[in-house]
Amino acid sequence: MVSDLIDAILDRAKTSIEKIQNLQELEDLRVSFLGKKGELTFLLKNLGKLSKEQRPQMGGAINQVKVNIQTLLTDKKNYLELIVLEKRLLAEKIDVSLPGRHVEMGGLHPITITLNRIQSLFIKNGFEIVTGPEIEDDFHNFTALNIPKHHPARTMHDTFYIDKKTVLRTHTSPVQIRTLENQNPPVRIITSGRVYRFDSDITHTPMFHQIEGLIVDKYANFAQLKGLLIDLLRTYFEKEVLKVRFRPSYFPFTEPSAEADIECVMCSGKGCRVCKKTGWLEVLGCGVVHPNVLSSVNIDSEVYTGLAFGIGIERLSMLRYSVNDLRLFFENDNRFLRQFR
Amino acid sequence: MNILSNWLREWANPNVTDRILVEHLTMVGLEVDSITPIVPAFKGVVVVGQIISYDKHPYADKFNLCQVDVGEEKKLQIICGAKNIRLGLKVIVAMVGSQLLNGLEVKIVNLQGVKSFGLICSESELGMSDLSQGIVELEDNTPIGKDIREHLNFDNYIIELNITPNRGDCFSVLGIAREVSANYNLAFNLPVFEVLAQGDCAISTTVVDTKSCPKYLTRSIENIDNTVKTPKWMADKLVYSGQQLHTPVVDIINFVLLELGQPMHVFDLSKLKGNIEVRMAKRDEHIELLNGTTIKLKEDILVVADSNLVLSIAGVMGNMSSSTQNNSTNILLESAFFELVSISGNSRSYGLHTDSSLRFERGVDFNMTELAMNRATQLIVKICGGRASKISACIDKSALPKLKPITINQEKIKKILGLELDVKWIEQKFTNLGFKILQQTNNSWTIIPPSFRFDIRIPADLIEELARLYGYDKLPVQKLSLEANINYTSEADINQYDITQSLVNRGYQEIITYSFISEKYHNLINPDARKIRLLNPISVDMSIMRSSLIPGLLQTVESNQRRKHTDARFFEIGLCFDGIEVDEQSNKLAAIVTGNRFSAQWAANLQSLDFFDIKADLESLLMLTGSEFYFESGQHVALQKGQTAQIILNGEQVGWIGALSPMVQKQLSLPNCYLFEIDLASIKLRNIIKYKAFSSYQQSRRDIALVLDEVVPIAKLIQSVKAMQQQYFIDIILFDVYIGEGIKLGKKSVALSLIYQSLEGTLTEGELNTKVDEVLALMYTQYSAILR
Repeated sequence: MVSDLIDAILDRAKTSIEKIQNLQELEDLRVSFLGKKGELTFLLKNLGKLSKEQRPQMGGAINQVKVNIQTLLTDKKNYLELIVLEKRLLAEKIDVSLPGRHVEMGGLHPITITLNRIQSLFIKNGFEIVTGPEIEDDFHNFTALNIPKHHPARTMHDTFYIDKKTVLRTHTSPVQIRTLENQNPPVRIITSGRVYRFDSDITHTPMFHQIEGLIVDKYANFAQLKGLLIDLLRTYFEKEVLKVRFRPSYFPFTEPSAEADIECVMCSGKGCRVCKKTGWLEVLGCGVVHPNVLSSVNIDSEVYTGLAFGIGIERLSMLRYSVNDLRLFFENDNRFLRQFR
Repeated sequence: MNILSNWLREWANPNVTDRILVEHLTMVGLEVDSITPIVPAFKGVVVVGQIISYDKHPYADKFNLCQVDVGEEKKLQIICGAKNIRLGLKVIVAMVGSQLLNGLEVKIVNLQGVKSFGLICSESELGMSDLSQGIVELEDNTPIGKDIREHLNFDNYIIELNITPNRGDCFSVLGIAREVSANYNLAFNLPVFEVLAQGDCAISTTVVDTKSCPKYLTRSIENIDNTVKTPKWMADKLVYSGQQLHTPVVDIINFVLLELGQPMHVFDLSKLKGNIEVRMAKRDEHIELLNGTTIKLKEDILVVADSNLVLSIAGVMGNMSSSTQNNSTNILLESAFFELVSISGNSRSYGLHTDSSLRFERGVDFNMTELAMNRATQLIVKICGGRASKISACIDKSALPKLKPITINQEKIKKILGLELDVKWIEQKFTNLGFKILQQTNNSWTIIPPSFRFDIRIPADLIEELARLYGYDKLPVQKLSLEANINYTSEADINQYDITQSLVNRGYQEIITYSFISEKYHNLINPDARKIRLLNPISVDMSIMRSSLIPGLLQTVESNQRRKHTDARFFEIGLCFDGIEVDEQSNKLAAIVTGNRFSAQWAANLQSLDFFDIKADLESLLMLTGSEFYFESGQHVALQKGQTAQIILNGEQVGWIGALSPMVQKQLSLPNCYLFEIDLASIKLRNIIKYKAFSSYQQSRRDIALVLDEVVPIAKLIQSVKAMQQQYFIDIILFDVYIGEGIKLGKKSVALSLIYQSLEGTLTEGELNTKVDEVLALMYTQYSAILR
C-alpha cells in the first residue's frame, strides 16, 4: 500500500530529524524529503499514475505528511538556532564589573569651587560681578578707602610694593572705589580674586583670595547687612540654624564696622582646636561704608548709605572641606587637588 | 596687649565673673584672643602647711623627713630635699592624689624604706613664674590648711586683647577700665596722685618743633636709690603682663605705661650736658640706641637732644649713654605728647616697634601727661626715695588736637541701624563714654568727645558707639529691600565656568599658583616681557610678577613628577602683567599636558600624548565662541621649533600652542610637555545662532587625493577651498595625510572629501564635475597640487 509507504516516510523523517545535530544536516534532510528531488515531491509527481478515485485521497495524505514534516523541521530548526545563539552568547559573555574605557575627569580647584558657590548665591540676589586689577595704586588701595599715609591701619596690611605709589592690592576693596568711580548708585556688586600680603607662615600665605560685596542705596542699613550675611553663611554651610554673631571691629573704610563669627562648624560650638576653644570662628568683616569713602567718589552720604563686606575664601573653603593646612591650596599637589573632582 | 584681670578689677570691678567679663569685652569690640590663669589649673588638694619638725632621712642624708601640719588631726610625713626648709615655715603642700604641672601626680613614695605622703612645692612645680630656688616660703601669718589657689590668687587671668588701631585709648588698664565702666554703668573717676614737689627742674628744655611735640614735661628727681628691689606686687603685674624686669625706675616707668597708657622716658641726669632740645634731627646725626644698634638719623625724625648728642628718637627709644643704671642717683623724667604722624614715620622708617611708639602711633591722651608724671614720681619717691622737683612744662596749646563738636540726630541713627533707640538710653551712654553733651533737643545731640577718643570725629562714629554698647547682636535683622536692578547678562557672554568646565570634562585639573615667580623662570619662558619686580619680595623665587602662566604650570608639573605623578593635565586662569596700568593686566588661560593619553587601564593601550591631543582640547574650547581661530607656525623661546603655532583671531595673535622646547625641558628636568596659552578675552563671546534652512535632497560627495609640497600647511589649503564660496558647497573633510612609499620625497598626499548639496534638487554628474574641476584648478594654481 502506498499509504503504508507514506507512513513509513513520516516515521523515517521523525527519526532522522531527531538525530540531526546541526543546521546544515537539517537543511540536507529537508531537501531529501521536500526538495525538488525529494521523496514526497517524487510521490506527488507520480500521483497521475493512480486512479481517479485514489488520487485525491492519496494527494491529501501526502500533503498532510508534507506539512507534518515541515513542522518537525521548523521546530528542530528553531531549536538548533537557539543552541547556536546560546553558544554565541556564552562566547560573548563579558565581566560587566570591569570599569569603562575612559579619560579621567579633571576638576576645579577648591578655591574656585568655593568662589563659584558663593558667587552664585549673590547672583541670585541681583548682584553684578565686577573685577579689578591686582597691581593697584596707593590711592585706590589705601587713600580712597580712608587709609591716609600715616594711618596705623596701614600696618595691618603688610604690603608688597612695586614702587612707592604702586602696590599689590592688599584687599579686594579697591574694586569698590573703581566701581563707584564709574557707576552711579544704586549699586549692588560683588568682586573676588587674589590679594597679597607680606606674610608667610603656617597660617598665612603671601597670596590669598577674597570675595567682596558692596551695596550703595538710599534705604540700605546695618540690619539688612546682617540679614544678608546671615543668609549667606547659613546657605554656604547648608545649616538652617547656624549661629552667627556680629561684634564691633575696626576697618578704616566702614563705620560702624563689624566682624561676624559663626559657631564652630567643627565642634558645633563646644570648643575645639580649630576655634581655639572659643566655640566661634571669625569668618568675615563688614560694615556701613565710611562717609569719607563715599565722598572720595562724590557720592552724598546724607542721601546714600553703603554696605560692604569682605570674606576670606581660603578660610571658608577650609571649614567646608575640613582642610587643615592653608598651604595645601597653593602647593598644587595632585593628591590634594584630585580629591575635589 | 596682655592685661591682668585682678589689676583691671582694682580700677573697675563689675559684679560678673572673669569669663563673662571677657566675653562682654569681645562683644563691645575689644576682642579677647585668650584668657589664661596665671598659674595653670591643677587637680586635687593643694593647701598651706607648716613644718612642725624635721630630721635627716636615716638612709639618705640629702633629704629631710618632715612632719607637716595641714590643718588635719594627723600630721603628714613628707620627705623633702629643699635646702631652705626650717622649723615653723609655712609651705605649700600638694596632697597625695593631686596633679600638678605637666601631669605630675603626687603619690605615696617609698624612699629607702621610709614613706612620704605628699609634696612640698617649689614655684616651678606649680607652674608659677620660676623666680626662686627651693620650696615656696609663705608669710608667717598664712592660715594653715587654706586652699592655695584661693590664697595666692592663682585664678587671676592674663587677658590677651587684640586692640584695633582706632582704640589707642584702650592700651592701658585705665583705658580698659573706663570701657568696662561705661558698659556696666559704673562710676569712673580719674585718681589724683599727690606729690611733694620742691624747687625747679634741674635742667631746662626748649621745644623747637611744637607742631610735632605740643607738650613736653620734665621733672628731675635727685638722690634716689636705684639698687632697691622692685616690690613683688609690681613685679608680678609687670611679669604677668609680659614685661621684663629692669631697675626699679625703669620698672616704674613701664608700670605707668601699662597702667595709664602714657609712655615716659627716664634719663640719668648726671650724663646730660647742657639743656634739652626737642627738634628734628640734623644732617649726619647718629644715635646708639638702647638695643645696641647705631643708626644714622634722617632730617625728618623728631629727636630729644642735649647740647652734646641725641638722647632719644622721640617717643620711640632712648640712647645707650643717657640711660639709667642701678648706680644712677639723679634722674630726669620725661612725659610728653608727641603728635602721632611724626611718631609713626619715625618708628616705621627704622623698623622700630616699641611699647612706646605703638601707643603714640595709635594716639595718647594729651590730658594724661601730668597725671602720668605724678604717678611715676609718686612711685619712685615711695620705692627709691629721692626729692622731686616741680614739673617743667613746654606746652603749645595751639598745637594740641582740637576737640570738635559733633551733631547727631535720632533720624540718622535710625537710617543707619534700622532701629530707634531710646532717648534716655542714648544720653546715658554718651555720658558713660565721657562725651560732653553741649546741646540737645528732643531728638538731636551735639557732643564733644573726650581727649582720649581720637577716633570719634563724625556722626557715624557716634552711631557705632551706640550700636556697640547696645550690642550688635541685639540690633535687628532685615531682608534686603533695595532699589538696585536685577543684574543683566547677555547670552553672548561666555561664562568663565563654561570655559573651565570644557577643560575639566576633558580631564584637566585646575591649579592656582602664585602670581610672583622667580627671575629664572621669567628669563626662560618670557624674556622679552616687561619685568615687574617687587621691592620687598618674600624670597627671590617670588620676586617678579608673572607675564605668563606657563612658569606656574611647569613648576606644578615638575613638583608632581617628583611625587611620581607622571600623567598630568593642568590648567590655570589668572591675571598676567605686562605693566602696572589697569589695561596692562589681563587674564590668560593656559594648559599643559604630559604623559599618557589614557591612564593605565585594562581597556586602552598606553600611548604618549602629543601636540594634537592638546590641540583638540583647545579647539573644542574655542568652539564655544563660534569664531574662526587660525593656527600659524611660529617661534616661541619656550616651545619646540617646528611644533609651535601662534593662535590667531581676526588677524591678531592671541596665544601660543606647542611642545615644550627640549632646551627648557632639560633645564627644568621635565618630560615631554605640550601646552597652550591664550588671552581669555578672545574666548569672551559666542555667536547667537541664526537658523539656516537645510536641503532635503541628497548630498553628493566627491573624494580627491592631491599630491603637493610637504611644507604647505593643509589648513591653508582647506581655507582656500572654503574661501571660494562655491554654490552648493557644504563642507570639506580631510580624511588622510600620507607621506612615504609611492610619494616623491618632499611631497605629501592629502585625501579630501568635497560635499555639495542643492536646496532645489539632486545635483547632476555634470554640475558636480564642474565644481570639483574648479577646486582642482585652484589647487594647482595656488599650491601646485596635482590629482594623484
